[in-house]
Amino acid sequence: MADNGAIRSVCIVGGGSAGWLTAGLVAARHGSDLKVTLVESVRRGIIGVGEGTWPTMRNTLRKIGLSETDFMRATHASFKQGAKFARWRTGAADDFYYHPLVLPEGFPDLDLAPYWNADPQQSFSDAVCFQEALCEASLAPKLMTSPDYVGVANYAYHLDAVRLGELLSEHCTGKLGVHHIDDDIIDVRLSETGDVTAVVGERHGAIEADLFVDCTGFASRLLGEALGVPFIDRSDVLFVDRALAVQLPVEEDSPIASQTISTAQRHGWIWDIGLPTRRGIGYVWSSRHSGNERVEEELAAYVGPDFAKLSPREITIRSGHRAQFWKNNVVAVGLAAGFLEPLEASALVLIELSADYIATAMPASRSAMDFVARRFNTMTRYRWDRIIEFLKLHYVLSEREDSAFWRDNRDPATIPQDLQDQLELWRDSPPGEHDFASAHEMFPAASYQYVLYGMGFRTRPRPGRLANADAAQDAFERTAALKRKLTATMPTNRALLSRLAQYRFPPL
Amino acid sequence: MTIVPLSRTAHAALRIDPARAAEAAAAVHLVPLVASEIRQVAGQFPVFLAKDAETGQFYPAALMGLEPQENLFWNGAALEADVLPLNLLRLPFFVVGEDAEAAIAIDEASPALAPDGPCSIVDAEGGETDYFRSVQTILGRLLQGREETRRLVDLMLETKVVREIKLDLAFHDGSTSLLTGLYGVDEVAFGRARDRITAFDDLMILAAMALSLDKVAALVRRKNARIEAQAAWFTPGG
Repeated sequence: MADNGAIRSVCIVGGGSAGWLTAGLVAARHGSDLKVTLVESVRRGIIGVGEGTWPTMRNTLRKIGLSETDFMRATHASFKQGAKFARWRTGAADDFYYHPLVLPEGFPDLDLAPYWNADPQQSFSDAVCFQEALCEASLAPKLMTSPDYVGVANYAYHLDAVRLGELLSEHCTGKLGVHHIDDDIIDVRLSETGDVTAVVGERHGAIEADLFVDCTGFASRLLGEALGVPFIDRSDVLFVDRALAVQLPVEEDSPIASQTISTAQRHGWIWDIGLPTRRGIGYVWSSRHSGNERVEEELAAYVGPDFAKLSPREITIRSGHRAQFWKNNVVAVGLAAGFLEPLEASALVLIELSADYIATAMPASRSAMDFVARRFNTMTRYRWDRIIEFLKLHYVLSEREDSAFWRDNRDPATIPQDLQDQLELWRDSPPGEHDFASAHEMFPAASYQYVLYGMGFRTRPRPGRLANADAAQDAFERTAALKRKLTATMPTNRALLSRLAQYRFPPL
Repeated sequence: MTIVPLSRTAHAALRIDPARAAEAAAAVHLVPLVASEIRQVAGQFPVFLAKDAETGQFYPAALMGLEPQENLFWNGAALEADVLPLNLLRLPFFVVGEDAEAAIAIDEASPALAPDGPCSIVDAEGGETDYFRSVQTILGRLLQGREETRRLVDLMLETKVVREIKLDLAFHDGSTSLLTGLYGVDEVAFGRARDRITAFDDLMILAAMALSLDKVAALVRRKNARIEAQAAWFTPGG
C-alpha cells in the first residue's frame, strides 16, 4: 500500500456491539465505495457489556436502517427514561433521586435551578421534570401510535447486548453488504512504517485492508498489543474493578421498570436493568476495599430468595483507556479503547460516537489519515475525561460513612482537579452551558444539575438570579400539569411491549 | 353499547328503525372506511388516514367534525349527507371476530331498537327480510374489504404519498382548534410517486383522497354556522 494510497477497504476485527455498530454505520454511509469486512471468532463469543443505551441509539439505529419494531423485538428491548440512584446520598431506605432523560422544564432558556435552590420543597428531579413520575409508575415514553423512534418523552433502551450483536450482524451482512469472516486471529502484520497491513486468520490466512478497527475487547489485539499503545489506568479516580452479574427471569405480566436502578451498597453499587424477559442485575465493587464473599451476600439480599437458583458470573474490569485511540491505520472502538463502570451507560454511547466519527470523517487517503486520527484522539480523550469526572461526581457528594469505599471516594487526592474547581464554582452558580463549552461534551449542564442537587448539593441563592419568578412559577406548574396528564394517559411499559409483539410502530 | 351475538331466535321479534341508528354517529368525528367506498365518500367528506390508538396501525377515515366527539353533519335528527360510510349504514349491527370466526352482532342499547320500528330481521315465514339481506351485504363488503384496505394503506405508506396534516383552525367567534394525528395524501408526493402506482383504481382512490382535503373548508363553514346558531340562541332579540 502506497503511503498516499486511497482508502478502499476497512477491516473490523471483532464482533459484538462495538464491531457490528461500527460495521453498520460505516457500511450504511459509504455503500459500495468502501469494502467493509468484519472478522470475528464466533467461538470466542462476546462479553456483551452495556445493556443500557443513551437516546443517541435511536438515531444510530435509524442511520443503520433498522426499524424500531424489528430492533426492539429482536433484542428483547424495553424503554429507558433515565436512571434512579437509590441510597447514594445517605444510604437510608427512602434516599433516592433521578437523572431523567428529559431536560428541566424550560431549560436552557429558563434555568429553574436558582428558584429551586431558594426554596427546595420537593426533590429537584421531581420538581423540574415530569419524567420521574412516569418512571415511578413503570409507564412507557411513547404510545402505540408514535412513529418509529419518536416518543412523547425522551427515551433510550435497555436491551440484550448479545442479541443486539446478532441482529446487527444479520442486518449488516444481509442488507449492507458487509463481508463476514469467522476466524481466529493468530497474527498481526506490520509494515515498516508501523501500519497494520493484514491480520492473519487461522483458517483464512492474511486479511488485508487500508484501515483496521480494533474491536477485540479488553485484549486490544491491534492497538494495544501490535502497536503498543499503553493503557492508562484510571482506578485512582474510579475504584470499581470487579462485577458480579446475574440474570433473573421475570413473570410474563410483571411490571418493567422504565429506568436503570442503581442502588448503592457498602462496597460499591448494584445495577438493575429490566427487560421483558429478565432483569440483569450486577454488583460492581472495588477489590481493594472488599472481598467477593461479602459482595455476594449483599447481592443475594438484593435479589431475594431466587438468588440461590442463579449462577453469578464474576467479571474483572479495568477502569481506564488507551493513551491514544487511533494510531497509524488502527482505531479502537469499545472495550479495546477502554472501559468504565456502567454508572451512566457510557459504553454503548462511546461506541456510537466513535463509529459515527469514523464513518463521517473517513479519510479518502492514507496521507489524510494522520490528521483525522489526531482530531479523533483529542476529541475522544476529552470525552473520556468528562465521563470520568461525571461518574466521580456521583461519589464525591455522598454522605455515606459505612465503609472505606465511600470515605476514600471523597479523598481529594482521588478527585480530578477540574472537578474540584467546578464544585467550588457551583456553590455560587448552578451548572450552566458556559461550564460546558466544547462541541464534544458528553453530558449537558442539566445532567450535572440532576446529580448535584439530587445528592444534596446546594447553590447559594442570589436574589439577582430570581428575576423571572413568574416564568419559573409557570414552569413548575407546567411540570405538575404534565405529570397529571401523562400519568393518566401513557400505557405501562409492559402493556406497550406486549402490543409491540403483535403490531408495528407506524412509519410516520 | 351492549354488543351481543345476533341470534335468529332471541332477536326474532326485534323491531328496528334504521334512521335512528345514525344517532350513534352524533358524537363521532372520524368514521373508518374500506377501500372500495373511498372514491364515493371523498365526494362528501375529507378522507384522511388516522392511527388506531390500540394498534398504531393506519386506517382510512372520513372526517365529520373538527374536534373529538363532534359531528358537524348531525342536525339533531339525521345526518345531512348524500353519501354515508358503510360503517354508519350497518348500524346497529357489527361484525365481531376475524376471518372464519367472523359473526354478526347487534348493539342492544342502540336507539334503533324501537318497538315501533318498521324493520325486522326475520319475516312472518321465518325467512330473512330484504332489510336484513341488505345489512348482510353491507357487512359483507366491510368484512371482505379489510384486506384490500390494508393493501391500499400499505401502498400509500410504501410510496410515501402520505404526510401529517395539522388542522390549525380559527372560527368566527375567535375560538380555535388544533386537530392532530391526521394524515392526508399530499399532491406533490403523489405526483412524484405516480409511476410506482400502477393500478388505475389505486390512482383514482388516491386522487380522490388528495382532492377531498379541500372539503375541510366545508366543515369549517358548518362549524361557523353552528357557532352562529348558538350565539343567536343566547343573544336576546339579536
